[in-house]
Amino acid sequence: MKKKLLFLSFFTLVCQLFVLAQTVTITGKVTGQNKDPLAGVNVQIADGNIGAITDGNGNYLIKALPNATLNFSYVGYLDKSVKLAGTNVLDVTLSVDPKSLQEVVVTALGIKKEAKRLGYATATVTGDAMATNRTANPMSTLQGKLAGVNISTMGTGPGGSTKIRIRGQSSFNSVNQPLIVINGVPMDNTTYALGGGIGARAGQVNSSDGGDGFSSINPDDIESITVLKGATASALYGSRAKDGVVMVTTKKGSSKGGIGVEFNTNYTTDQALDFTDFQYEYGQGERGVRPTTAYPQSGVWSFGEKFQPGMRQVLFDGEDWPYEPVRNRYKQFYSLGTNLTNTVTLSNGNENGSFRLSIANSDNQGILPNNTFNKKTINLGFNQTINKALTIQGNVNYSNEYNKNPPQVNTQDMAIPTVIYTLANSMPFAAMEQNQLMPNGTEFVMSRFLVRNNPYFSLNQRFENIKRDRVVGNLSFRYQINKWLYAQGRIAQDYYSRYQDYNIPNGYAPIPAAPTGFINGSYTQDVRNFRERNYDFLIGATKKIKDFGVDMTVGGNQMYRKTEYNSVTVQDFVQPGLFTIMNGRAKDPLYAKAERGVNSLYGAADFSYKSFLFLNVTARNDWFSTLAADARSILYPSVTGSFIFSEKITLPSWINYGKLRAAYAEVGDDNVAPYSNALYFGVNNNLFPNPSGASVPVGGINTTLVPNPGLRPLRVAESEVGLELKMFKSRVGLDISYFYKITNDQILAAQTSDASGFTNKLINIGESMNKGLEVQLTLSPVRAKNFKWDVNLNTSYNTSKVLKLGTAASDTVISVGGGGGRTIKQVVGLPIGALYTFLYKRDAAGNQVFDKASGKPLRNDVPAYVGNILPKYFGGITNTFTIHGVEVSTLIDFRLGAKMIAGSNMNALRHGLHKRTLVGRAEGFVIGKGVNQDGGVNATKSDIQPFYETPNVLGVNEDFVFNAGFWKLRQVSVGYDFTKHISKAKFIKGIKANLVANNVLILKKWTENMDPENVANISDNETGLDFWTPLPPTRSVGFNLNIKF
Amino acid sequence: MKRIKLLLSVLILSGFMLQGCEKGFDELNTNRVDPVSLDPQFVMNKGIMDATYRDNFATLQTLCYDFAIVQQVITPFGSSLSGGNYNNFNPGNTTQIWTTYYQSVIKQLAYVIDKTKADATKKDLYNQARIWKAYAFMILTDTYGDVPYTEAGKGFLEGISKPKYDKQELIYKDILKELDEASAALDATKTSSSSDILYGGVLSRWKKLGNSLLLRAAMRLSKVDPATASTYVKKAVAGGLMQSNADNSKLRHTSLYQNWIAVHLTAREKANFYLAKPFVDFLKSNNDPRLGSIAYRHVGAKSGADQVAPRTTTDPAVQLGMPMGYDDVSIKNTFTTFGVASLYDYSQVNLNTVLKTDAPSFHVTYAQTQLLLAEAIFRGWTTGDADLTYQAGIKAHMEQMAEYDTKAAIAADKISTYVTANKLVAGKELEQINNQYWVASFINGSETVANFRRSGFPALTKNPYPGSEIKGNFINRMPYPDSETITNQENLNAAIAAQGANDLNTRFWWNKP
Repeated sequence: MKKKLLFLSFFTLVCQLFVLAQTVTITGKVTGQNKDPLAGVNVQIADGNIGAITDGNGNYLIKALPNATLNFSYVGYLDKSVKLAGTNVLDVTLSVDPKSLQEVVVTALGIKKEAKRLGYATATVTGDAMATNRTANPMSTLQGKLAGVNISTMGTGPGGSTKIRIRGQSSFNSVNQPLIVINGVPMDNTTYALGGGIGARAGQVNSSDGGDGFSSINPDDIESITVLKGATASALYGSRAKDGVVMVTTKKGSSKGGIGVEFNTNYTTDQALDFTDFQYEYGQGERGVRPTTAYPQSGVWSFGEKFQPGMRQVLFDGEDWPYEPVRNRYKQFYSLGTNLTNTVTLSNGNENGSFRLSIANSDNQGILPNNTFNKKTINLGFNQTINKALTIQGNVNYSNEYNKNPPQVNTQDMAIPTVIYTLANSMPFAAMEQNQLMPNGTEFVMSRFLVRNNPYFSLNQRFENIKRDRVVGNLSFRYQINKWLYAQGRIAQDYYSRYQDYNIPNGYAPIPAAPTGFINGSYTQDVRNFRERNYDFLIGATKKIKDFGVDMTVGGNQMYRKTEYNSVTVQDFVQPGLFTIMNGRAKDPLYAKAERGVNSLYGAADFSYKSFLFLNVTARNDWFSTLAADARSILYPSVTGSFIFSEKITLPSWINYGKLRAAYAEVGDDNVAPYSNALYFGVNNNLFPNPSGASVPVGGINTTLVPNPGLRPLRVAESEVGLELKMFKSRVGLDISYFYKITNDQILAAQTSDASGFTNKLINIGESMNKGLEVQLTLSPVRAKNFKWDVNLNTSYNTSKVLKLGTAASDTVISVGGGGGRTIKQVVGLPIGALYTFLYKRDAAGNQVFDKASGKPLRNDVPAYVGNILPKYFGGITNTFTIHGVEVSTLIDFRLGAKMIAGSNMNALRHGLHKRTLVGRAEGFVIGKGVNQDGGVNATKSDIQPFYETPNVLGVNEDFVFNAGFWKLRQVSVGYDFTKHISKAKFIKGIKANLVANNVLILKKWTENMDPENVANISDNETGLDFWTPLPPTRSVGFNLNIKF
Repeated sequence: MKRIKLLLSVLILSGFMLQGCEKGFDELNTNRVDPVSLDPQFVMNKGIMDATYRDNFATLQTLCYDFAIVQQVITPFGSSLSGGNYNNFNPGNTTQIWTTYYQSVIKQLAYVIDKTKADATKKDLYNQARIWKAYAFMILTDTYGDVPYTEAGKGFLEGISKPKYDKQELIYKDILKELDEASAALDATKTSSSSDILYGGVLSRWKKLGNSLLLRAAMRLSKVDPATASTYVKKAVAGGLMQSNADNSKLRHTSLYQNWIAVHLTAREKANFYLAKPFVDFLKSNNDPRLGSIAYRHVGAKSGADQVAPRTTTDPAVQLGMPMGYDDVSIKNTFTTFGVASLYDYSQVNLNTVLKTDAPSFHVTYAQTQLLLAEAIFRGWTTGDADLTYQAGIKAHMEQMAEYDTKAAIAADKISTYVTANKLVAGKELEQINNQYWVASFINGSETVANFRRSGFPALTKNPYPGSEIKGNFINRMPYPDSETITNQENLNAAIAAQGANDLNTRFWWNKP
């Protein structure tokens, strides 16, 4: 071959001497970094139309001017331009485009591997895709971009949290969030949940979304995000990775040398989207009467009279207002949200090391005028070679977050979104804005439903501050002992201190007056400290004997986590308007501490034969501090293999690459809070007088959860097979995975009868199955010079089944949550997350049955199964068009095959806003179509308002069970890279600009009056239940500008 | 070689590091903030305290059902406040006694009993706990009928998460036995722990509470099992009943541990609840001085905000109960008839006296005990002077008013005038006694309802609100919570099969027509 080439070049040289033609024939071979020939590479003469494509051996032939420049481009590789400079033979090596990351994947523990070696599915998103079209919480940007990954946001303001599900939900009643790993080290992603979670104190009026852990990350610092989907991929991470791993790799300084400065600015505006379609024919009032006196206040009832021109109403303020529809309530009340993020990055490096420092500020103004979220991050990454063998690498991320006045959601008290949603349809905003406080400073009540507060009162009198200072960092030492052996040690810590305070305003109507001498109200101040430390070590060896290669890794990890919680609530104050602990009358302190540890040992062996057969075996043993001594150790293995059949079998020429993979893994998890092994007591903060007035203690069992000292770890066993194909000169890429997962011995807080004295009981129970198919398809239908079209399609199908519950065959149902007639259960034989609600009573012939006396609908005695809460299908389609350098990208995503109870409609119904309540208004009564208890045709007239209040009173949600699916145009962006118009000598080295839009359109939905995604139920298991409306979804539009110096 | 040495040392070091893979884990998993046990006396205190409810919404069952069924306090408003006012089924409000009693009172008592039953030094506390458990279970079974009893509250102790339901008859017979035994076992000359919040450990008072409760439980069976009733009435009288208001069982609420019914009426349900006409009329027609202690009215109030001090009057002559059978809109039709400015103009429970936020909650009183005793004498189940006992009961309740607030105190001359004018009349004894029990148990919702069901007095007429969902004239019981259909369905079904439909109509065992 070499001889041939020599001869060829000699020949062309000779020819050149004799032929003084204008063009010469250039030949050469295009290879990858590993010297493999690349077939189908596009070879193009710059500024010309002539092009060629390499053959199966990577060879090409093209005619060009002797001083021409040749451009080489190939999918997944960096473009390369070479000036001919008199040569006729031009061999070119293309390097892999790091952005495509098709070839090297960061796997568990931060170990980089060639993709072809992997026996399991991963999915990767580049930092650019997250930084360009961003959201306040970077996680939500990923929605629709990764096969098998389902991400939802809560509608709780810019500081709100996200919910991530990889390959559906496998456990019945515990956390199903994946593990977040930054540069190989786990990071806490605790969600400070709505009412009842760790974010709220029992009995306190607070139900804001306190955010999650991932929001501390600045998308500009992200190099890539790799999702390890199955247990097989994450086996080395052990217990916390049973629901997959989201691996974040941060950017590093380049070793090329020279100071690099980069500036990125991103600005977007958020506009509230209104999906309500309420009735505006009958106005404010109750029982068919409009308000003509200030009292009783109605405020949130629209069961009044038919609007007629010139009609007047007397509202809660005693003033006379026109009786007319007040439409576009969202537009009138919510303001425009804005988000501005600026990042400056400084980097430098040489062959011995590099560093990268970024400083960012992000200001987010929510659509509620008093809600802001500010985030400052500093990220420092460095690596340094100390001597030939020793390298030190480190990364520190500091973030300072301030979430001011996150809205109250999923509740009533001072919950602005609930009030705006349920507000009477003829309530002028001016009336509320003008009448917030009584002359004596107490709340001006606008509804006899006292907890439906005047939204302006809530805006101006309630406050909440959540501040977090966080340092996540790691330092790793790597010692290359010899060519084939290295040892690595790593220490990492995630530490934050989180401050939170909030009040109940003075004069808040739904709370009692204070004792004489005090003014009512309350104030809570919380401080939490969180620390997670991980020490780990790895020893790795690589050996290659002829065609066989072995990589061995052994390691261990010690994890320790501590959370501390200090909180004081005070009630009633001495000095009005002063919200401090000292100023409070009754003080209620609380302190809690939880510690847990997990120790692990693990090892992996990677075998390869030539470059087409790979086998990987791992084993990990975890010891959990939270479990009983005889159950706390668990060993789990994994085996994966891959076969690059395209290197071994002769395939049709249109297939460039083919790989088969298979994997099996087991993972265990403790999945239980510390101290779940014993029953604990609490002593009340305040003493109680005995009959002679002496103060004596009061205390008791302070939990409603029955502990279990004998808990075993949960176990997951997952099998996976996959196929990867690259076809038609790599213009078509296909990656298919099928997985099958059995989860055993789940630790579940099963609901118990109240009569047991407890509400839940921790048990090891049950078996469930998850299976699914994931397809990732990349297409490059057009690759013309000035027009490129790339399509990336991902979709997945997920289903599950509850196989076993409890110890007896009769244990077939466990209830995990809900209320108001809406329940989520786990039922043997049904998929995980079965939705139940009461149905209307019907006779054998299917006629609805109404009460003979009252005419109101009746309900069945027992709730019925109405569907499943987890989507069967979800995915996204990204189309990217590059036209003369302008890149236009759209993302359409979908979620299908799930049911939900859109309970906010129930509120619209019982308040007379829902269009369904128009039936009977003209007549002044409703006669339900059906029969009565005696079997006769129902002829009883029911008053309008009680008739429509009944479904809520009885918990009959059947009218509002909807398909929770949707198709959305999630993202659109238009970008242009101006870099090529800048000469190299200039101060500015690159400019890139993008116009972006997020949450652009709902293409299809089935729910009435709401976006099916807009549900503020943050409890990890309770999806599909909605009742109190969160903040409306927003559409954001803006730009991203990146300048390199 | 050097490198291999290094590798070896790293390996050995790691081996050491991980040798104790679970070292310290037992200690790490020990909660050092919350105790794993507590002096059962303090837990008993909690069981006593939580019996008068423990949070905002738990009182809605009393406010929306109990008070309305006995027509003492009523709201015209519907939706989440609907219940006895419209004779409606509102599952949000029918479950509160169930959840709060089982989750707080019964659970704590089960622990106290478990910790004390085998400990001779804790014998007194054990018997106190048995008495209090009987008190709590009477409220549960008088509300729902057959309920989990023998297996209840044992979710932790015995791992019973789906307790079976026991028949009310069995429950009552056990309550009688328990009260009898526990009261008898207490030595009236001794004291137990002064940390006891109910009686400061004065066992004579506990004994009197046990016997008075035994009388109450025995009288419950007056219709269904007079023989048993009579037997236990005798035992109760022999054991020693309450002798004065000093023996009353009550929770002394403080500004830190407030009276939740009062809190609810002064806060979330401000201006929503009114004294009902039948109750006010009864007190008025008898010139009852208690009306001035119990009621106030904001004359001419057009709104909740108008309910302020200058309008407040406690003058019994101008008190006006809200008529039964109206909602917040139809109530308009009554304004002209009664001469009120708005619904806010009707009389309310006085939130400065009997329901100020630190007003005591009475469990069992001397007044109630005397009235029950008067009935027992009248029925011939024990001896004594029924009329004098009846009068003592009325007098005791009038004197009890002072325990709420000095503003509620009734002058001795007024008391004697009333008592003199209200002697038992032949042929009307049962009605008179139980009418007085109705007044004497005001605010103690579950007891007022139970005695009304048992005795049939006062002779109330059916709430005329249109669209009543009940078959008879009155609500006969509260349905079981929906949560039981989810968590304890088999036992629930068995209970429903035995007792009858799970609705507001079914009569439980002792409530014979």
